[in-house]
Amino acid sequence: MAASDSTETKSASWWSYFFLYDGSKVKGEGDPTRAGICYFYPSQTLLDQQELLCGQIAGVVHCISDISGSPLTFVRLRKLKFAIKVDGDYLWVLGCAVELPDGSCKQLLDQLIGVFTFYNGPVSLAYESGSREELSAGWDTFIEQILSNTSDLHRIFNSLWNLDRTKVEPLLLLKAALILQTCQRSRHVLAGCILYKGLIVSTQLPPSLTAKVLFHPAAPRDQGPPPGGDALQEGGAALPPDVQIRPVFVTEEEAVSLYEFPGEPVTSTPASAARLQEPSAQHPPKGWSTPAPKENNPGHTEAMAWGLATTPEPTTPNTVWPDGSGENGHWCGRDWESVGPAKPRHSARGRGPGLGRALVKEPGLSWGKEELDLSEIHIPEAQETETSSGYSAFPHVRAPEGAGPGCEESGSDSGSPEPKSPKAPPVGTAIGGLLPPSAPEMLMQNGAQEWLGHLSGDSSQAPVPGEDHLLARTSGPLPACCSDSGQTGTELPVGGQGEEQRDDGGPESCPGPGPKCDSGSADPPGDDLSADRTDSRSAPASSVGLVRMNLYTHCVKGLVLSLLAEEPLLGDDAAIEEVYHGSLASLNGLEVHLQETLPQDQAAPAPPGRAYSFTHYDRIQNVLTANLPQVATAQDRRFLQAVSLMHSDFAQLPTLYEVTVRNASTAVYACCNPVQETYFQQLAPVARGSGFPSPQDSAFGLPGKARQKLLKHGVNLL
Amino acid sequence: MKCVLVATEGAEVLFYWMDKEFEESLRLKFGQSECEGAGQLPTLEDQLSTLLAPVIISSMTMLEKLSDTYTCFSTENGNYLYVLHLFGECLFIAINGDRTEGEGDLRQKLCVLKYLFEVHFGLVTVDGQIIRKELRPPDLEQRVQVWEHFQSLLWTYSHLREQEQCFAVEAVERLIHPQLCKLCIEALERHVIQAINTSPKRAGEEALHAFLLVHSKLLAFYSSHSASSLRPADLLALILLVQDLYPSESTAEDNDTQETDSFSPAEEYFTPAPSPGEQSSGSTVWLEEGTPPTDASQVQVAEDTLQTLVPHSPGPSSPRRIFLDTSVKENYCPMVPHTMYCLPLWPGINMVVLTKGPNTPLALVLYQLLDGFSLLEKKLKEGQEVGSTLRSHPLMGDLRQRMDKFVKSRGGQELQSTWLEFKTKAFSRSEPGSSWELLQACRRVKRQLCTIYRLSFLAAAPGRGGPHLPQHLQDRVQTLMQEKLTDWKDFLLVKSRRNVTMVSYLEDFPGLVHFIYVDRTTGQMVAPSLSSSERTSSELGKGPLATFVRTKVWALIRLARRYLQKGYTTLLFREGDFYCSYFLWFENEMGYKLQIIDVPVLSDDAAPVGMLGGDYYRKLLRYYSKGHPAEAVRCHELLALHLSVIPVDVLVQQAGELARRLGEASHVPLL
Repeated sequence: MAASDSTETKSASWWSYFFLYDGSKVKGEGDPTRAGICYFYPSQTLLDQQELLCGQIAGVVHCISDISGSPLTFVRLRKLKFAIKVDGDYLWVLGCAVELPDGSCKQLLDQLIGVFTFYNGPVSLAYESGSREELSAGWDTFIEQILSNTSDLHRIFNSLWNLDRTKVEPLLLLKAALILQTCQRSRHVLAGCILYKGLIVSTQLPPSLTAKVLFHPAAPRDQGPPPGGDALQEGGAALPPDVQIRPVFVTEEEAVSLYEFPGEPVTSTPASAARLQEPSAQHPPKGWSTPAPKENNPGHTEAMAWGLATTPEPTTPNTVWPDGSGENGHWCGRDWESVGPAKPRHSARGRGPGLGRALVKEPGLSWGKEELDLSEIHIPEAQETETSSGYSAFPHVRAPEGAGPGCEESGSDSGSPEPKSPKAPPVGTAIGGLLPPSAPEMLMQNGAQEWLGHLSGDSSQAPVPGEDHLLARTSGPLPACCSDSGQTGTELPVGGQGEEQRDDGGPESCPGPGPKCDSGSADPPGDDLSADRTDSRSAPASSVGLVRMNLYTHCVKGLVLSLLAEEPLLGDDAAIEEVYHGSLASLNGLEVHLQETLPQDQAAPAPPGRAYSFTHYDRIQNVLTANLPQVATAQDRRFLQAVSLMHSDFAQLPTLYEVTVRNASTAVYACCNPVQETYFQQLAPVARGSGFPSPQDSAFGLPGKARQKLLKHGVNLL
Repeated sequence: MKCVLVATEGAEVLFYWMDKEFEESLRLKFGQSECEGAGQLPTLEDQLSTLLAPVIISSMTMLEKLSDTYTCFSTENGNYLYVLHLFGECLFIAINGDRTEGEGDLRQKLCVLKYLFEVHFGLVTVDGQIIRKELRPPDLEQRVQVWEHFQSLLWTYSHLREQEQCFAVEAVERLIHPQLCKLCIEALERHVIQAINTSPKRAGEEALHAFLLVHSKLLAFYSSHSASSLRPADLLALILLVQDLYPSESTAEDNDTQETDSFSPAEEYFTPAPSPGEQSSGSTVWLEEGTPPTDASQVQVAEDTLQTLVPHSPGPSSPRRIFLDTSVKENYCPMVPHTMYCLPLWPGINMVVLTKGPNTPLALVLYQLLDGFSLLEKKLKEGQEVGSTLRSHPLMGDLRQRMDKFVKSRGGQELQSTWLEFKTKAFSRSEPGSSWELLQACRRVKRQLCTIYRLSFLAAAPGRGGPHLPQHLQDRVQTLMQEKLTDWKDFLLVKSRRNVTMVSYLEDFPGLVHFIYVDRTTGQMVAPSLSSSERTSSELGKGPLATFVRTKVWALIRLARRYLQKGYTTLLFREGDFYCSYFLWFENEMGYKLQIIDVPVLSDDAAPVGMLGGDYYRKLLRYYSKGHPAEAVRCHELLALHLSVIPVDVLVQQAGELARRLGEASHVPLL
């Protein structure tokens, strides 16, 4: 159910408190608790009360974690529950009403932290470099946005706000997807999503990233994005109107998924082909790769979520080359035929693995079609292995050769030498140390590689020196972005060092400290430094690395195009121009069409004749389809209560498939499988039975009814 | 990794219980050195108090400042779960660190523990100060004994809840054998109740109830005509006490070191009384072996010497003071003192006789007064009634009259002065006391009443030398009953293991794997036996299959409880290859199905659905009966486990047919 963009803030009785507490500020006996309060919502809470909550909860967290040996994550009181996250000295706490399921409360907190980190970097550094006031203002807007847009159901599932696709012309969704694909072809751009009035129209991002982009502070420039962003913008070259580029921080996991299936959900013939052939070879990353089964099932395109709106079409050609490997000519031919879908694949691939232009200094060259064609010709062999094994081949190639120069060669030979070594141990790269094995590791290496590529000669991207300075200032501390702030002590010096290094290194090093900040932060290939880093990182296992990227946003009235790009984008005016001009016309068109098609009042109550309520939750894409009205009736509240209970049980009991519950007033049926959950309630007044087991009890007929009625909503329970 | 702690607001430990793993984790935390030497027990206690004091104090601070307090903590991935429950002035904390228990299980455990305190201490639990003295006697040796007793009970309870269906659903399971049942009832009536009550040497005790248990199943129950009915929850608690005294096979089986005869009456073996230094090791042994130490650590000696030796903790077969709810002539009175005699007939078969002493009416009077003052205290706390309004309150007039009468008959200087003080504050027209002063005075009166209650019923408990049936009289009824049942003994022991067999249902209900049928009005359940113990095999055989079905059934019970707590009376779910269903409904006496109503939706921190802790079903019946004042309402539950290949409509039809059949059978009077 699409949340409305209505400005009225709904009563937020479910959201009681949210605060961020810095325990390091309150160490001594005399330190007032208030010194540690970084942010407290609602801000009008009496200071005594704030101190009480912060102090007591911090104390209990300490005590329980001490006894248990694992961090306290959840506290329930009689009338209140708190989700808690300990991050070094920092304590994130979200207080909700008891009616909200425990799991949802925890998820929401994770989401809040995720969004904050996305825009501001690790909390310790954000609060060190930014002012509390500014960050608090950011929080206020953000929380306001969540409160005004979160419906009862969204609260339970923590789902994304998506456009009700039944109300939109499918062609428009296709068009949106195509815009994204086109953008993907541009240099540095990895993937993106399109929002309309705060609702997702189309996305290529994994749900966790879409959520972060979705919570983007709505108004562009003037609304004051966090300091880092401001600085960048002001310092950078003049951006096209309505465009904003800000640095963002993506978790390693997310970064991996961005690189792993470049542009995949939307496009990709070869990827899909590969998948069809050898599904097992893919390790579907959590989340968004699962559309695969759906794609294979063209009959149910209706059931697909927005992101996939365009998939069926490209899927068809896939079948043409079931084993596309080696058939270069054919491959390319295809590509030319279906320009949209196929190309991005290449560009993405080229970029993702870092083999591409950036490395071989192609960026300087024009992006002509011949160019593309050329690269295509020798790449296809690597296609299959590329998609599954990622860029792993890369370090291999690189390792023996050391830095820069080798890249060129790899650019052409790419995966072919040893494509089957996804888990090749990191050779010669200093970064591997603390990283989780496999994918992230690959990314790291790759990132480093790419960065090296930049370093080694991509001076064409070098921005104006002034910007360099700014960059160094604002993002100086950030490179040490392993978020575990307990580690900051060790991290910071390294970051500092890096900064110095960068200053020394002159302009070339600054624009692209690499997509990942831990490697890229300032880790020039110098051996000594790298060694340093390895040491500092091997310490805490809990530290989660963050990867720096750029978020490009372009607003066209209600429509927002958000693209995640590798960092050099900001300095690369040509690339920005290209993205901008490549999408402007289509965006304008899409905006007009959406405005015309979409019902003005999304909040319109459900049709009075509604005979049933349902909710369909896509576990993979984290979106909901439902037919509940904005204002819940008594029967709807009963439905919601049952849904929250059953949703919690589905989460806890993996072998639970179907549940029917019944009380005197209502009966609700629910079923789930690994990718979706569906809830169904009949609204016709139920004849009151005795509760004695009787086949006449309508509750037991619900599964059949649900199957039948939900088909027309694109939900197939058969 | 399990632990239970009862503490005061000031983090003083009133009771604790922990398993070996938890003890080990404490040891690791505090280092080996502290645990050495004789003072181990106090050390554990101190360790716990040190660790949890911040939580306890924070919990009190929150209560004071926010009028809200912690009920549950969980750590990452649910590795550790803490459940907190505040009963009066005592904070109960249950900890689980091995993910074997959910929040409901832990809360249930706390509620059961609290109920066990009530069964043992009666209305003394009303006053925080006095219960503190009972649970934490200043004398270290006594304290060890009290704690060991409850530790053992908790252990037994946890074990039974995992092993026995009757404790899993909290209802009394009957041994289905009408003929034998009838025979036993006659024997209980004539040779036990009447024999005792006609004996001139019964020392003023009057036998009220007598019943026979085969393991944890009820074979026969007889109540004298003058007795009020025994609440099913109380009966189940008594079964727990008996199981604790004489653990039956299934309990003992867990214990590799014990032989088959471990459940034989304690007379058969002798363990020297623990010397103070050894007490700690005694507790360790118990923790290691999972066997309650009570019977092992007690000397089996003649009654009179026992009382002088270990005044606080009577030997297994010595009578015990327990407090049970009664309703005398429409007058409901909770926690009336009784004396319980547990007379083992053979290993696994026990007879229990309950008597009441001559001073029972005093308990009723004290209850009424305490109830009145508690109500008054509540009103004063809320700050409603002060001064004149209080004086004119109908409750006050009545209370004053009763209290005056009681004080006059009872005497006792301290009581008199306290009451006088209260009266001056409450009724004096010239200088009425402030609300706060009144509250304090009211509390003092309550404390006085509690002290009298304690002196009358606990200090003079049968185990502490109070009046009780002479030993020879106990021996006589024991022998008589043994004679009556001697031919049946072996049959009974087998029967108790294979009580109801699924075989009789398979043909009529294909696809049905298991069921539990509960009559919540009588608090009794019927279910095919489901034993996964090593020695006895059920139809499912022993080993993995039986264990698998068992985990399914236990999971169904847990989920059904959870949904009932949230107001759902019907639940059907498919998990793996099984359909699990749960139905709750109401009937009148004639078996006519009554319309279902919306049952209350309870919060997560409410006392869990069950009978032992909070008696949910009694409240539910009362709630439903409000809408049906004219008829007697019965409440039933059916839990069924089917193979998931069975279509839902067939499943529901089967469930209905099964319930009908079991309902008819349960109408046959067995008592």
